[in-house]
Order: sequence, then C-alpha cells, then structure tokens
Amino acid sequence: MSGRARAKRVNRTLIAGLVLVGGFALAALAAPLIAPYDPIFQDGTARIQPPSLTHPFGTDNFGRDILSRIIYGARVDLQMAVIGVFFPLVIGTVIGAIAGFFGGVVDAVLMRLIDIILAFPFLVLMLSIIAILGPGLSSFYIAMALVGWVSYARLIRAQILVLKNADYAVAAVSLGFSWRRVLFRHLLPNSVAGSLVFCMSDAVLVLLSGAAISYLGLGVQPPTAEWGIMVAEGQAFLSQAWWITLFPGLSIVLLAFGFSMIGDALGEAMGVHE
Amino acid sequence: MSAPLLSVRDLSVVVRNGEGEQTLLDRVSLDLAPGDILGLVGESGSGKSLLCRSLVQLLPSRAISVTRGEVWMGGRDLLALGDAQIQAVRGAEIGMIFQNPSSHLDPVMRVGDQIVEGLRFHRKLNRAAAQEEAIALMGQVGFTDPARQFAAYPHEFSGGMRQRAMIAVALSCDPKVLIADEPTTALDVTIQAQILRLLMELRERRGLSIILITHDLGVVAQTCDRIAVMRQGRVVEVGDKRDILARPQHRYTKALISSHPSMPTDEANDVVDDKVDAARLPAGPARPLVEIDDLHIRYPLSGGVFGRRRSFSAVAGVSLQIRAGETVGIVGESGSGKSTLARAMLGLIPISDGHVTFDGASLRLQREATLTKMRQQAAMVFQDPFNSLNPRLTIGQTLAEVLRVQGKVAPAAIPKRVDELLRLVELDPDYAGRRPRQLSGGQCQRAGIARALAVDPRLIVADECVAALDVTIQAQIVALFQRLVRTMDLTLVFIAHDLAIVRNLCERVVVMHHGRIVEEGPCAEVFERPREAYTAALIAAIPDIDPDRRLLAPPGLLAS
Repeated sequence: MSGRARAKRVNRTLIAGLVLVGGFALAALAAPLIAPYDPIFQDGTARIQPPSLTHPFGTDNFGRDILSRIIYGARVDLQMAVIGVFFPLVIGTVIGAIAGFFGGVVDAVLMRLIDIILAFPFLVLMLSIIAILGPGLSSFYIAMALVGWVSYARLIRAQILVLKNADYAVAAVSLGFSWRRVLFRHLLPNSVAGSLVFCMSDAVLVLLSGAAISYLGLGVQPPTAEWGIMVAEGQAFLSQAWWITLFPGLSIVLLAFGFSMIGDALGEAMGVHE
Repeated sequence: MSAPLLSVRDLSVVVRNGEGEQTLLDRVSLDLAPGDILGLVGESGSGKSLLCRSLVQLLPSRAISVTRGEVWMGGRDLLALGDAQIQAVRGAEIGMIFQNPSSHLDPVMRVGDQIVEGLRFHRKLNRAAAQEEAIALMGQVGFTDPARQFAAYPHEFSGGMRQRAMIAVALSCDPKVLIADEPTTALDVTIQAQILRLLMELRERRGLSIILITHDLGVVAQTCDRIAVMRQGRVVEVGDKRDILARPQHRYTKALISSHPSMPTDEANDVVDDKVDAARLPAGPARPLVEIDDLHIRYPLSGGVFGRRRSFSAVAGVSLQIRAGETVGIVGESGSGKSTLARAMLGLIPISDGHVTFDGASLRLQREATLTKMRQQAAMVFQDPFNSLNPRLTIGQTLAEVLRVQGKVAPAAIPKRVDELLRLVELDPDYAGRRPRQLSGGQCQRAGIARALAVDPRLIVADECVAALDVTIQAQIVALFQRLVRTMDLTLVFIAHDLAIVRNLCERVVVMHHGRIVEEGPCAEVFERPREAYTAALIAAIPDIDPDRRLLAPPGLLAS
C-alpha cells in the first residue's frame, strides 16, 4: 500500500478514536451543564421507567435518571482509565529501562519480581491489595500502580536490550556520554513507541477492571455514579428492565473502543506493527 | 550469439504514489543466451533487483506496475501470463537466489525438506525419489555429507553453506534460468570465491543460464560472459565482458571501473609518496599511541546460574602497537575477532586478560582515567551508517550534542563548528537539519565520520565503515579518509574484510584469523609477498577486475 493511502486510513482510525474518547471527555467536563437531572436524586414516582422523552435512557430502581448517571459516570471512569494507566506506565518504563540497560544482577532481581507478580491472576492480586488497603478509588489506583507496571517493564526492557547494542548506543558510549544521557536521551525515546501504543489498549483493561472492582463493591462506592456499579446494580432487574444495564455497559464498550482505535492508529503511525 | 533463451523488450515499470508516477525501469531491453552468465551491475536503487522480479511478476508492492514491454521465454510473453501459469514458471523455469540466505530459508524446516518441497511440487516426484534426488543435489552444490546434512536446520550452517542450500532449493525445480541477486555480498571473500566457482560449475554441468546481480565489478569480471550496466532504471551499456571492461563507453561505467578497489588509484599513489616523506614518520622510538599486549577477550557461552562455565575466545592473545600518525588496516574474515579487537581498543567491552594502553595510560590499571582520556581523544566510525546515528535526532543535533558533552568548544561557537565539521566531510551545511532517514547511505556515513571528528580525536577506529556502501561511494569515503589523514594529525585504524580497500588506504596491515594475528607488516610487502598461506589465500580470493587474473586459490585452504 502506498504511504498516502496508509496515512489516510491511519488518520480515519485516529479521528474516530479521538471523537469517541473526546466526546466522553467533553461530557465529563460539562456534566453539570448537560445532564438533565441530578445523578443521585431519587424520584420515588418514576422507578424503573423505560426510555422515553423525559428519561431518554430510562430510570433505575431508585428512580434515578440513567442518562444523567452515565454523563456523571464518565468523570469517574475517564479518571480511572487515565490515572490507572499513567502510574504503571511511568513506573514500568523506569524499571524496565534500568533492568534492560544494566542487565546482570539488577535485571535478574527485577525480572524475578515481575515473574512473581505475574504468577498471580491479575484480579486476585488487585482484590487482595484493595482488601488490605480498604475499598475506594485511591486503593484501586495504588493496586493498579503496584500490579500494572509489569507489562510496561517487560516491553521497555526488551526494547532496551536490543537497542543498547545498536551502533548509535555504542557510539554514544564511545563519545564519552554519561549512562544517564545514553539511556534517557538516546535509548528511551527510541523505545517508548510500543508502550505508548500498548497503554491505549491497557486503558481498556484498566477501565474494565475498574468496572469489575466496583461491580464487586471494592471500588467506587454507591451512590456515586460509575458505569461498573450501574451494570452491577441493574443486573438484578435484567429481565424486566434491560435499559438499566445496557446503557452503562454500552458506554464502557464505546470508550474502550475509542481507546483501542487511538492505540491502533498510533501503532501504525509509529511503525510498531512492522 | 545463439537465439536468446530469455528476451526482455522495452520493459518499463512505474510506481504510483500520491504525487503521481515515478519511472523505476525505463524501456529496458536485454537478452540472455542459453548457458550464458549475464552480469547486471549498478548501485543500489538502480533497478537491478526490480528488473529481475518483474520477469516473474513478483513486484514488491501493489503500487508498482509494469506499463509496457514484453518478456519472451519459450515462445510466450511472461508478462501476459495469468497467476496460475506464472506460478508454474517461477521456480520451474526461472529460479532465484538472494543475498541473505538466512531470511529466505525457512528456519523451522529441515534443509533437505525445503529441497524436497520443490521437487514434489514441480517435478511430481514421490517422497522417496524426491529425498534421493535432494541428497544428490546437496552433493552437487558442495555439501560434504549430504545424507546427514539433509536433516539439519538452516541455523546449523554457516553463511556460505546456507547459500549453497538456497542454490540447491533453486535447482530442485531444474530451472533453465537462475537469477542470483547479490548472492555473495554478505559473504567473506574466500567463501565468495567458492560460491562463484560453484555457480560457474553448475553452468558447465547443467547448461544453466544465470543472471548475476552484483555491485562488484570484480565478481562480474571473474564470472560473467556479458555485462549490463544499469543506472537509474536504464541499461546504460550492455555487451561482452571484455569489451566493456577494456573500452567502457558510458561515463558511469568508466566511473564504476575506476572506483573498483583493485584498481590502484592516483590517491593511493599519493599515500605511497607520503610514506616516503620522512617528516610523517615518527622520529626515533616514539611511544606508541596504542599498545596492546597479549590481549584476550572471552565471552561466556552457556551458563545460567547452574550451567558449567564455558567460554569462547573472540580475541586470543593479540599484541599490537600503533604509533601516532599511522594508518593501520586490520583484515580478516567474519568471526576473526577484528571488530572485537577494535571495541576493546576503545574500552567498549571488558578485557578478560592482557593490557590495552592508550597514550601511556593502562586501561587495566587506571581504568577511569584512561577511559576519560580515550573518550576525549579517540572516536569510532561504524559499519551500518543508518544504525549508527540516533534516528530521532537531526545530524546537527547529533553533532552539537557531542560538542557540548566534550566541552572543547565554547557553547556559542557550536553552530559554527557543526558547519565546519559538515564541510570537512564534504556535506552541505544544510544537512544539519536532516534526520538520518532522509540521507543516503554514503551521506549518513559522512555524518558518522563528522561525529567522530567532532571529538577532535587523535585516533579514529573505523569498523567496516564502507562495507555497506556502493563501490563508487566506497571510493569516495576512502578518498575522504585519505584526505583527513593527510591534512589532520590523525591515527587511523581501519578494519575491513575487503583487502583491496586496505591496500589502497593503509600503510600497515594486520591479518587476523580465529582471534589471532597471523601476519602483519607494511601493506606493500604483505600484499606482494605474503608469508602465511592464510594471507595468500585471502589475497587470491579477491575478485580482480581484470578477467585474465583468475580466482586462483589453493582449494584445500579455502575448504577449511
């Protein structure tokens, strides 16, 4: 395929992804302006209403407006995705870079630590950490940072292992550059492309595990609007009131879809898949 | 010439990109007679590989297409054939071998099975017959124990043996024409000589016609009957080998011939004159700039925590002195330890045993102090010009960074110095704003040399720095080094597997084999009267541009 046709396709995917994620971000920012109702106001007279003009996405079993809750929920879920990715990315990049660059004992110790973390199922480990720290969003972020960095560390380490033998790295050493300069100015910028792409699909995973944790009652606490809790709460009424579960579920899927499209486009543009 | 077996008429190929069309091949016409070897010569990007791929409709991209022309073979126009028909031609009538056998052999399939595959598909043999035939073929292409080697995987063979395996795969379908695309470029000279001899033998024995794509006129002079010279998608000159080598018509062909390293150039003569010039020779027993004493470099092989420690000696007891102002060439085949020696000389890899002394400071005894001194006075130029520059930085940023870290130039004067450095390596100062990817290989290598010069070094170690370049560019880079050595007070250690280049550039040559120095001495002496059989074999394996100086080498030595 010619460069231009590829660039066009990459652009389309990127724009679609940005529109989806950006749409949710806008909704989150402007929530008080655009939400038709208070997200936690319980209207006793309007319980379990199907979608209608007054409540476009219907109401739940407490009579709360689903649309308003989804709009407010975007604030929590976006925040979860961003913070839940940011700390693992930073921690994992630094640890992976150091392990790959120095090798030897440093590498062996760090890699065994990663093996230990990977030996536990992801959710089990998350749940145990949150159980120790107590339920809540900040516990979720801490658990995410403690567990999530391993994938980034492995990605970056593998890149650095290859790049540190590249001639330009040897050249940098032979020109008298300090190891910090060689690692952080020459090697790292050339090795982060893969992680940046991965962090978009990781955002999807974080979003889903955040929703799962909240669903289990260990994350965001009711009555705060959050998509995972909304799905959990609606589950009991699934046979009578599908809309309580469907719309928050759909939001999770759409936001995840947006992130992964951005990731794909970035990957193509940076030549990660080649 | 008898009636051609393969005839290309007015072949034009274009690539369509966003901006429009660009012509890659421009009305190329060629004939290949039965049993002939046609050499297709030209630089990278001249369209030689593309031409051969077009013959069997294997164009590398959908955006590239044939716009006009015909390829006649056996009474048919190959370009007019449908998918199924051309598939029967590929392999069965036109076989191909490539530069890099490791990437064209399936790594997880036994070598023998890859040959059997073609025999069964094209010649419809049954399994037992195909296996027998495959073993016979492996014997023909020079496998010493084909019955056993049948079951080996590609990684178990050396580069030369892999190339033989690829030739066997190509021959398995009994093609009439073999297209060999730079088949020896990645190989050492001695192995190259073996493969070339094999191709000529196969021509004799099977009546094979061969199109040999190469950038080395020496290879062509030694093997081909006819030569076609390509440049920018056109055949600029075609004819009998001797006619073209003796009486080149086109300006480009003349340049190609005169830049061949086996031709003594005028500049090489200048260097010879310089050597006589007593002023350049260090007076008396001056302290050597670099002194290497019984150096050993070992790499641990197997291991893990519990494995038994075994090691591989890349450099095994090398002693060498390099005086200031000298130009020393280190030659040897791949795996001879010459690059390892170069890196050890600059303190880039740990030394297992022995001493490296730089300007009186020992790397072993005063490591930090010596390293600091080395970093300020020595620099390296690498083989792969693209891989040796950080792809994210512009050439200007790369040079400025070196100047800043080295601190020998005041910060305000850095931009001016960057300009100077670029001029010094004959690059336009505008190139400071470009990234490596926007440059050609030769320009990149110049930038790499500029980076080395930015250190303002006394010693430059150039590791195979012209191996990846086209011959005319090679000649330019060698000329650049000659000028730099002459005009600046430089000591140059030039590592190459190409002996002819070393002969043109260096005063002294060191021949390495299996991690040891087998011979050293003044260039003229070593090349004229080699004392060691190994050196003699290396020299004899250089394909000379004169077709009458055959590739003569004692076969026993080359086989080892």
